Amino acid sequence: MTNLANDFGIAEPELIDRPEKRGRLGILFWVCVAWLGINIFGAIFANVLPLPNPIANNYSAINFGPSLHHLLGTDELGRDIFSRIVYGSRISVSVGFGAMFIGFGVGAPLGMLAAYRRGLFDQIVTTLMYVFLAFPAIIAVIAVLSFWTPRSLLKIILVIGIASIPLVYRVIRAATLSMGSRDFVIAARVQGATDRRIIFRELLPNIAPVGISFLLIGIATVVTLEGALAFLGLSINPPQPSWGNMINESRTLLSQNIWIAIFPALALCLFLLSLNYIGDRLRSYFDVSEVKL
Amino acid sequence: MSDSAPLLSVKNLATTFETARGEVPAVGGVTFDLLADETVGIVGESGSGKTVLARSIMGLQPRTNVRVEGSVQLGGTEIVGASEVELRKLWAVDVAMIFQDPMTSLNPLIRIGKQIDETLRLRLGLNKADAKKRAIELLDLVGIPSPNERYMAYPAQLSGGMRQRVVIAIALACSPKLLLADEPTTGLDVTIQAQILNLLDQLKSDLHMSMVLVTHDLGVVATRTDRIIVMYAGRIVETGTTKEVFAQHRMPYTEALLASTPKVSDASHTRLNAIPGRPPDLLQLSKGCSFAPRCQYATERCHNERPELESSGSPSHLFACWNPLPLPTNRTASPAGSEA
Amino acid sequence: MTTREAGEHLRYADLAIVRKKQKGVAVIKYVARRLVLMVGIIFVISVGAFYLIHLLPGDPATVILGGGDTPQARAALYKQLGLNRGIVIQYFVWLNHVLHGNLGTSFITDESVVSTIKSAFPIDVEMIILSQILAFAFAIPLAMRSAQKPNGRLDKTASAGSFTLLSIPPFIIIVFLVLIVAVKLKIPNTGPASYVSLGQDWVVNLESMVLPAVTLAIGSFVLYYRILRSDLISTLQEEFITLARSKGISRRRIMWRHAFRPSSVALVGTAGVNIGGLIAGGFVVQFLLQIPGLGFTLIDAINQSDYLLVQGIVLVISVSVVLINFLFDFLITIIDPRIARD
Repeated sequence: MTNLANDFGIAEPELIDRPEKRGRLGILFWVCVAWLGINIFGAIFANVLPLPNPIANNYSAINFGPSLHHLLGTDELGRDIFSRIVYGSRISVSVGFGAMFIGFGVGAPLGMLAAYRRGLFDQIVTTLMYVFLAFPAIIAVIAVLSFWTPRSLLKIILVIGIASIPLVYRVIRAATLSMGSRDFVIAARVQGATDRRIIFRELLPNIAPVGISFLLIGIATVVTLEGALAFLGLSINPPQPSWGNMINESRTLLSQNIWIAIFPALALCLFLLSLNYIGDRLRSYFDVSEVKL
Repeated sequence: MSDSAPLLSVKNLATTFETARGEVPAVGGVTFDLLADETVGIVGESGSGKTVLARSIMGLQPRTNVRVEGSVQLGGTEIVGASEVELRKLWAVDVAMIFQDPMTSLNPLIRIGKQIDETLRLRLGLNKADAKKRAIELLDLVGIPSPNERYMAYPAQLSGGMRQRVVIAIALACSPKLLLADEPTTGLDVTIQAQILNLLDQLKSDLHMSMVLVTHDLGVVATRTDRIIVMYAGRIVETGTTKEVFAQHRMPYTEALLASTPKVSDASHTRLNAIPGRPPDLLQLSKGCSFAPRCQYATERCHNERPELESSGSPSHLFACWNPLPLPTNRTASPAGSEA
Repeated sequence: MTTREAGEHLRYADLAIVRKKQKGVAVIKYVARRLVLMVGIIFVISVGAFYLIHLLPGDPATVILGGGDTPQARAALYKQLGLNRGIVIQYFVWLNHVLHGNLGTSFITDESVVSTIKSAFPIDVEMIILSQILAFAFAIPLAMRSAQKPNGRLDKTASAGSFTLLSIPPFIIIVFLVLIVAVKLKIPNTGPASYVSLGQDWVVNLESMVLPAVTLAIGSFVLYYRILRSDLISTLQEEFITLARSKGISRRRIMWRHAFRPSSVALVGTAGVNIGGLIAGGFVVQFLLQIPGLGFTLIDAINQSDYLLVQGIVLVISVSVVLINFLFDFLITIIDPRIARD
């Protein structure tokens, strides 16, 4: 191969995908990953961590500021804010990851399959999905959650998850479509690769970056949605803490104690910031076509 | 060629790109002059630096991560180091460029008439009606049929050859003295190439412009240039009048270029005389002659010491080689590809 | 000119005229296709909205009447909605009413659904218009500046700032804005329940709209800035921009005349989706400030189990979203006619 190239004076094709050419992810990236990890850890192990009871009222410790005993202070009912935030992270983490699990679990394979196969399957499913997409999902979520009582975390995850399927479908399908017409897929086909092989070996690795960064942004959106729902009283019921309903409850108490609002807001925003940042960095890291300025 | 003072004077022009992997000397010290009404052809392979040279002459290189050194004097104004504001005064009015790919060099969302109007109105100060009139004249001048209707066309509605004519019309609009044509026919069908080149010839002489014609195709320069500059790895390796370069070339690279051009007179299935090897990596230029690795006449000295340009008899004919081809007494080399 | 060249010229002339016709026709065909699709989607949405009530436990009459479930009311309702007949017929009865502008009368508020919506809808429109004006007014110039010097100081600051804003949900923004502006700074008419309609007192109206408009504008701004900046940066790499530069025209003109339009396609598309989302999603802001827009009214209706009103609002919102998406798609073909041709 090289000899022929030499004979004809053809320059060797540039290997675009060299790791050192991509640039590094950066330290902030790993800080965010660590932060996410801490949140997830806290969410999973809240039970076994040495935290005061998040729903136990303690009237002798109302509205304390941050101290050694109560790391982030206490709220108007004497509950430890730090503990409530850690327990609250359970809601955000489980809604975020759970709903996206459903959305991607159903939407992604469908999208890839539809884009790869085309034909009747693609047309029917895509039209269906586009109709669902035309319907404002938020309203559907609000409507369903209002009427489907009693509310539980599982129901919330389910409703949001299902509502996110059409969007995931559309994004993954679009990504697969743009990959599928590329030369390397056609080349694989010509070489006689089976569909299964093409999907797993060729398409999946190339869609993964787009998919993952969309996944992260999706989690951020869902977590935000949970917060908004809490403001409408449609998230899990108090006294169970979630970041959303903590902020919501604090609205009337802002004059007394702003920490009740600030800490959960901070927790939520940092969580979202990390997700967005990681998603963004991954996207530019893998986008080899983007001009590195 | 009446004026003694050159229209364009390039001295030691060097353009270096600062990249993450190091500095790339795309153009490494080019010197030449251009007189009024003269046409010089700049010939070289892809990667020889000829496009970068053309853009650097005009001052069109981006400002970030690019370092331009040396001097480019155009009619008294120094281009290297000038601010963009100063350069804008020259662009379109004193010097204009014709770009390589007509498919991408026109704004797809603006009608072509308006794209020609733009310089007429903003640089020459014509009012709307006059500008339109002049634009239609220009369209006619470059050989576009039904110019009145085409004025309102979008680029997508024109073929490649037509679009390139529009690009030429835009370049000529303010009657610049110097035209830089960067591979003006490379993106076009072979049948259209001759038309466009003939058009350029005709316009050049009608409007008394000098032209720098950049190309990798020797056939293009054979009959249309007064002088030729041969570039390799960012440097001039041979230059002279067209006749000198074709018939009396000294540098082996020039010989190889000429030999690699397929001729219509060749029998079918004649093997292409491609130059073996590939152009050098500009990040790691050798201290010797850049062409040495691919040169069949290379000597020890060629690999270790870079040859400077020296004269081959006539003052206009320069070449850079330690082991040049002998001065031809009876060489019968003919200009290749004059059927272009 | 030789005969051959003349012949070629004629050929090109013919092609030009044909292409011109095709262009006009292509746009019309594209618009027609989208129109048909839109009608189809609206039809499906109407079915969904109609069926909403039947999804709830209990029979529709119980659901609608709620507390006012008397035999007379029932009989009247049956007559009005044809509830005693097959479901398909019910749909068409309902559809007939809707097409005549009748969405029913709420049994909770005793107002016609249409009039409730009519008084609520303009509020959303005002909120959205104000927020979008703010969002574009900041996003476009900032993106234009940033794109000219990517990774420069302005660009880095703006990008970092917008990224941070991205991570602050609107409900948090509004809570803290209200805290600072209405409570701490005590600026009049900006806190909850200060809304007054335009007709009554346009000054107070605008004052009360400031916080919601700003809150919604922030989210839109971040989105538009990022998209426009990214598209501008890639457009500026294009060869036609270099040619434009070589004409010696000013940077400003290059940005606005040459670079902006090709870069705004994604922006317009996103704006359409975003605005559609705001119609539905402005509810938190409305709810917190007690601004009686559609979102607020919807939440209220849900809480009061006023299902006819819910149904009406859902229908109106969904149709509006579809219409807006269609409108913006049309705008895109105006910006870049090539899209219609593909």
